[in-house]
Amino acid sequence: MAMSGHHHGASELALGVSLEAAEFDTAYYAGSYQGIAPSVGWMSGRLGASAAIGLYHITENGLSRYGLGDAMVTGHVTVVASDALDAGMALHLMWPTGSETAGLGMGHAMAMPSVWATWQPQPVTVHATAGYGRALIALDGGHDHGLMPLVDPMNMQELTWSAGAELAVGHGVRVGARTAGGIPIGAGAMRMIGAGRVAWGTPRITTGVELQLGVAGDPFTLRGVVDTALRF
Amino acid sequence: MRLLVFVLALAACTSTAPPTPTETVCPDPDPGTLTWDSFGQKFMTDYCTMCHSSALSRTQRNGAPYAHDYDTLKSVLYIPDHIDADAGSGPAAHNTHMPPDRCPSTPGGALDRNCAKPTDEERTNLSLWLACERNRPHTF
Repeated sequence: MAMSGHHHGASELALGVSLEAAEFDTAYYAGSYQGIAPSVGWMSGRLGASAAIGLYHITENGLSRYGLGDAMVTGHVTVVASDALDAGMALHLMWPTGSETAGLGMGHAMAMPSVWATWQPQPVTVHATAGYGRALIALDGGHDHGLMPLVDPMNMQELTWSAGAELAVGHGVRVGARTAGGIPIGAGAMRMIGAGRVAWGTPRITTGVELQLGVAGDPFTLRGVVDTALRF
Repeated sequence: MRLLVFVLALAACTSTAPPTPTETVCPDPDPGTLTWDSFGQKFMTDYCTMCHSSALSRTQRNGAPYAHDYDTLKSVLYIPDHIDADAGSGPAAHNTHMPPDRCPSTPGGALDRNCAKPTDEERTNLSLWLACERNRPHTF
């Protein structure tokens, strides 16, 4: 769910669904997964919230399993709002609904506060985030598992970042690229992905196709994502 | 709000305690009663090596992580903390993540039977053996 404030003062409900398929080849596991993640979002003025949870089929080292991923709840507030620039803060909370053993969940709750900014010198939109992610358990308790889970790996404690840009090419079509990653604090590994995206639609309904490449930290070798959001 | 309540309720139903170190300490002096020959090798053969074996390729491991092989003492001692936290029992935790519910009848085969499960005593002995074995001198 985008956090840019295109609807300052208005209320908006958004329903979305994301389909993804990936292949991974880490130090310990090789395989693939497919997932579907329904989401719901709400914005009113400068405040917004969203929630999403993934349902996965994963094949890891020859074992096929189905299961929930970790649930994500996000709250965000727009602090700066102008025609060209929006900026604000967000708090992502991840709940361990996914099985750690199956590679579908972190095994513990995570909190990820961040700041974000979107600059829109039309027809270009540039966006960036910077944040911090931390497992909500004692980090000296011997539970450090490095990058987990297989479906969306993170470190137990890390600095997170993302940056990207999109270009409106007409007829409601936008093309763009983005990168995102995490830098571990303490034990862990740096992770980074790169992605190219094409999105199209109207303010009411948008659909995007994104092809992602794992650059560092073995998040996946290749992942494809198709997402659609309907706004009311 | 209803969605949040649903997610939290779902989490309560699905989340389990993560693998936790048992914090078992080997007595001083080491009693030497639990060894690879007297305990460890049989435990691994009975409960682990159908999947955790160096003889199995990635696609034959039924989900067992690569390089997590328990067919030799050397490979067990590569990750004793991991084994303790997944299958051991001790003062700080009683871990039953492993073995899983379904196992193959033959190494690398299909998951066609219920896994044999260690007794609580065997899990306690596993943690105690690992705590002692890791401090013993080895030539490998």
